[in-house]
Amino acid sequence: MNSLSPALRRARRSSAALGEAAAAATAAEGEELLRVSDLTVAFRGRKRVIEIVHGLDLSLHAGRTLVLLGESGSGKSVTARAILRLLGAGAVVEGSVRLGATELTELPESSMGLVRGGAVGMVSQDPSGSLDPLRRAGPQIVEVLLRHEIESDTRRARAHARELLSQVGLRDPDRVLRSYPFELSGGMRQRIAIAIAIGCRPRVLIADEPTTALDVTVQAQVLELFARLQRELNLAILLVTHDVGVARVIGDDVAVMYAGRLVETGPAEVVLTDPRHPYTTALLDALPLPGIARGALRSIPGQPPGPGARPWEGACAFAPRCRSATGACTSHRPPLSALGPGRLTGCDVIADGAPRPGEDRREVSA
Amino acid sequence: MTRFLTRRLLLSLPILIGVSIVVFITIKLIPGNPVAALLGPNATPQARAALSSRLGLNDPLPVQYLHWLWAVLHGNLGTSISLQSGAGGLALTAFANTMILVLAALVIALAGGVVLGLVMALAPRSVLGRALSSSTLLLLSAPQYSVGLLLVVFAVKTGAFPSGGMHSTNSASLGDLLAHLVLPAVAAALAPMGIVARMFSVALSGVLEQEFVSSMSARGLRRRAIIGHAVHNAVPSLLTITGLQVAYLLGGVLFVETIFDWPGIGQHLYQAISSRDEPLIEAGVLFTAVALVLTNVLVDTLHAWIDPRVRA
Amino acid sequence: MSVISLDPGATLAEPRARQLRRVTRPPAGVVLGGGIVLVLVLAALLAPVIAPDSPTAGSVSQRLFNVYTIGHMLGTDGQGRDVLSRLIWGARPTLLAGVIPVVIGGLLGTALGMLAGLSRSWVRNLVMRTLDVLFAFPAILLAIAIGAALGPGIKNAIVSLSIVLIAPVARVAESEVLRLRSDDFMEAARASGARGTTIAWRHVVPNIAPPLLVYCTSLIGLAIVYAAGLAFLGLGVAPPHPDWGGMLDDLRANVFDRPVLSLVPAAAIFLASIGFNLLGSGLRRMLDVREREVAA
Repeated sequence: MNSLSPALRRARRSSAALGEAAAAATAAEGEELLRVSDLTVAFRGRKRVIEIVHGLDLSLHAGRTLVLLGESGSGKSVTARAILRLLGAGAVVEGSVRLGATELTELPESSMGLVRGGAVGMVSQDPSGSLDPLRRAGPQIVEVLLRHEIESDTRRARAHARELLSQVGLRDPDRVLRSYPFELSGGMRQRIAIAIAIGCRPRVLIADEPTTALDVTVQAQVLELFARLQRELNLAILLVTHDVGVARVIGDDVAVMYAGRLVETGPAEVVLTDPRHPYTTALLDALPLPGIARGALRSIPGQPPGPGARPWEGACAFAPRCRSATGACTSHRPPLSALGPGRLTGCDVIADGAPRPGEDRREVSA
Repeated sequence: MTRFLTRRLLLSLPILIGVSIVVFITIKLIPGNPVAALLGPNATPQARAALSSRLGLNDPLPVQYLHWLWAVLHGNLGTSISLQSGAGGLALTAFANTMILVLAALVIALAGGVVLGLVMALAPRSVLGRALSSSTLLLLSAPQYSVGLLLVVFAVKTGAFPSGGMHSTNSASLGDLLAHLVLPAVAAALAPMGIVARMFSVALSGVLEQEFVSSMSARGLRRRAIIGHAVHNAVPSLLTITGLQVAYLLGGVLFVETIFDWPGIGQHLYQAISSRDEPLIEAGVLFTAVALVLTNVLVDTLHAWIDPRVRA
Repeated sequence: MSVISLDPGATLAEPRARQLRRVTRPPAGVVLGGGIVLVLVLAALLAPVIAPDSPTAGSVSQRLFNVYTIGHMLGTDGQGRDVLSRLIWGARPTLLAGVIPVVIGGLLGTALGMLAGLSRSWVRNLVMRTLDVLFAFPAILLAIAIGAALGPGIKNAIVSLSIVLIAPVARVAESEVLRLRSDDFMEAARASGARGTTIAWRHVVPNIAPPLLVYCTSLIGLAIVYAAGLAFLGLGVAPPHPDWGGMLDDLRANVFDRPVLSLVPAAAIFLASIGFNLLGSGLRRMLDVREREVAA
């Protein structure tokens, strides 16, 4: 043991902290890598504690993309940040987040730092803001590679950074390495952010609205990039978005969030074609699709309840905006119940088969 | 970089011309007739008229200004009435002493202000952060002459430092100069230190709220490394703050010099005002303004050096 | 948990109700600062009533009594005059020379800043580059130069300080107007054909008023320090009438034998400066204005 170099010892310690994550490097396709159970997030206000996310369960599998879908304010970004414990001192997070066999909520902060950007990569919403504006791109990638001891010296890290940039499809990596963020386009900056996120060989990638700030054509390219990287690296991706279109393109599974709770989950192709919760239906109705007349687009009436104004127990939070709501919806909140394999819904009105949202849709388009 | 500096210097030429116009106007504001003052009450009208035309006082103002500017550019700033010596030379010597004091105070203000600002920005809700937030308000409210006088009292009571002057009578060592420098520099530095602390804290808090900071925590970078990035990004604001503090100090040291008998511009001004020695006042004001313009050029150049977006 | 990461609790837990409560219950700074300012203003107003002695007449037999002397709470100066009485009377010119220039400079500076912010680019450039020239002088030095040229006297001190304060206020006003200009409602107002003056009065003035009010309140603190500074250099009220800067200069001659006494005017100026700065800082928090440097 004494013969171990300090660098090696550090590397051992870091991989020990990542525990199961390292073992997951050999994970078979479909193996569960990250499991979020009963996640509750609240923020301490001056007078009271306000709950933003309540009792959330999620499961990420190798080689699959889970899309967390919801309107802004539904708590989806907070969920993404809570997984990596990025919410700061004002947040109270309860529940369990397991990365393989490692319980992230109990990890000491020093080991958590190695998980962030290590076993779990993250890409944030605003590509223009994800890089230090005063530093060239190269050193910023190198800094992360050295921090996670992927490379031991700057020269090698630089070569690695160059490879990563090629891997994310940047054509002139040497020039990009030398460029300041302001010299690059939004799409290029987002590719750099992705390069950094995959640079430390993560098993899980969390992307928070990664395409929202980009032009439509660039959006498609970036989504393609996510799909390709997922195939190459067997990544489990959690993609947070408000955009049903994005979910359609990239989602294997979908979890729909409303007012801090999951309202429907299941395989993307099923949930997005045969929704069993009025909120999902409403989201789909608000999406322009080929073959449906423009006039058929419907916005969802009303506004989602603000934080602190949510009926956590005793009523369905969507009831006030719901076209299918019955009297029962304001007096009890149906729990998530199984409809089929991997399929859950939080609405018993539709699940019982009353007005089928799919039919409703066809009527409108007719 | 050289190109930036050259361009910035050229851009400050109009400002310097503006400065000279302002100084010229203040000279013209002086009530009373300089001819009458020079010749006394018994002079003949012919003699007055002759002197008036010889001094160019009958010329239109723009012509008078150009004559004056020509003289100033040749180092002729008029003769100090009370000291009977070239005002430019007097002001220049004094100005060098003033700059020593200003620089010492600037170093203290920046060092202290940055440390206090760091604490305030990194732990705004802690007891220490809150305490600093209030105490820096006290600091920046403290007039430099009030602090100066307090420190003179301190020096008199304890004898720990000399209470005035720049050198002891029989010593010219650096240590002696530093001993004389400490109290006036602290007196001048406290208020700017409070301002630097508060403004740096605001700038750094702003940077810490930027997206790249949370992105960096999401990449697992160490807290210390992230703070390093944030501080680097707050440096441009710090430079701007520093430029403003130089202006504040160049004004404020005038009082500190008077209180500590520091042989700088301020002391000259104090005497020049009571003896109505305008040439000396104008010379001091002109030097200070030029120094400030050059400081701003320096600040902008450093800013460009740090921020590639400004350079481009 | 990482303390540096953004704390969304701060924004999420900030419903309107709390902002309103902040307005209805002023922060401690406003109460304390406002209290200090109120006491000073009352002292200045009631000087003839509350001053225990004559501010100008003294007897040589009572020279340089120390502070806490019976009958002379704050001692007497080199000519035997009661320092407390001089301080109370001296509050008048000192406060006037601090407040009036901020009012004049504030109004002119706001007008100039609005002109620059709302005009075509060449007008704005002309105004702002002219202001740059004024910024090339340390404010107090320019005030000294103008004051020295005009001659001593409180009127000239007020004039010179007013001129000096125009530039910083104008710069703040201009930057606030520019921030507004990019807002949608300004575009909407212009697109709907509203006249320039209407836009200025209806939309610009109400929106730039809070930050300017905060700025000017803090500026009074600085102006009082500057006004006392001018008086200290002999550019204030003509003797024997008292003002704080002049008293500071008088009493500092006795720093060796009466150190505490010599500090009395310095402390008074400090107190006034704190009062206005506390008030400004508290108002800033109440009106939710971002912090900026009181640079002049």
